[in-house]
Amino acid sequence: MQTLHVDADTWMHRLTPRVKLGVLAALGILLFLTSSLTLLGLAVAGGALLYFRSGLPMSEALRRLRPVILTIIVVALFSLIFNPVHVAIVTVLRLTALMLFAASVTATTSIAAFMDEITALAAPLEKIGLLKAADIGLAVGLVVRFVPEILDRYRAIREAHEARGIKIRITTALVPLIILTLCDADNIAAAIDARGIRRH
Amino acid sequence: MSTRDLVLSALFAAIIVALGLLPPISIGIIPVPITAQSLGVMLAGVVLGAKRGAIAVLIVVVLVAIGLPVLSGGRGGLAVFVGPTAGFFIGWIFAAYVTGYLSERLVKAEQTGLAQGIGFFIASVAGGVVVLYAFGIAWLAIAANLGFTKAFLGSMGFIPGDLVKAVVAALVGRAVMVGYPLLPQRS
Repeated sequence: MQTLHVDADTWMHRLTPRVKLGVLAALGILLFLTSSLTLLGLAVAGGALLYFRSGLPMSEALRRLRPVILTIIVVALFSLIFNPVHVAIVTVLRLTALMLFAASVTATTSIAAFMDEITALAAPLEKIGLLKAADIGLAVGLVVRFVPEILDRYRAIREAHEARGIKIRITTALVPLIILTLCDADNIAAAIDARGIRRH
Repeated sequence: MSTRDLVLSALFAAIIVALGLLPPISIGIIPVPITAQSLGVMLAGVVLGAKRGAIAVLIVVVLVAIGLPVLSGGRGGLAVFVGPTAGFFIGWIFAAYVTGYLSERLVKAEQTGLAQGIGFFIASVAGGVVVLYAFGIAWLAIAANLGFTKAFLGSMGFIPGDLVKAVVAALVGRAVMVGYPLLPQRS
């Protein structure tokens, strides 16, 4: 699975994830407090500058933005029908700026750095016994490991359907897919415990 | 949480991710193909129950946050958390929990197939539609400056598709319960 992280060396890459996430959260609040078109316009320009200088090639950078931009435009059009033009523009600028800043953080922070940050954030939860911080990394690793396996399994189920001349339908595909996948859980859990990975 | 519970949640998270990568499967009479990830959220509750189902979805949320493009259409990263539809994404966690909780209460192994199916359907609608849209509409109303009434009306167009997904979740949930029961019981 390819990540959305961009391997480059800009000053954004060198900032710690905690600072970037903190600034993003603060911006999230600040941008919702202002409806000044000038300020919001500046924020969009700043966000765009950060994002397009995060080391991504232009075409790829634009391609990644497309789905979110599209939702923002749909919502803005909807908003335009009911709200004054000014409100619709404020909404678009605010969401676009936030999205650009968020995408910049994603592009400049590696999975490993994010995982360290999440594990650190989960430490207080571990103290009160809600979860084990190390389990988060284990779970993420398991998902990345098993997605290709599940896709292969789906292909096998589809071919079995075709071989029997049955049209593939969502229920006839999902039931065996879920059962076959979850049947593995006991073996995987036994393997994890046998290796003492969770140490308890 | 036992290692088995953790693995079950992680495997279901992987199923939800895989559902976003599969070509959309069209279902029967309805011409609209189903993008199956929100169906996966209902299924997490229906198959695994409240706690493990919510954790499965939480793992998907973590994957998105750390920058893996695991949502349908290759979406991912923090931008998903700030877009106008972020409420529908965060709401997934609570949708899975409520679907799971109601499934545990409403569906019993000794019931008839029809009763189980109806129980799963009610649980899926309550969690995957009522709870999910409560989160989604609230955020849409605030983030997009729409106001609750308009955000509500604008979201109504997606309800029929989600009701169809609830039917599919009920059918699949019952079939999995017969074939490989995992749902904890709660009385």
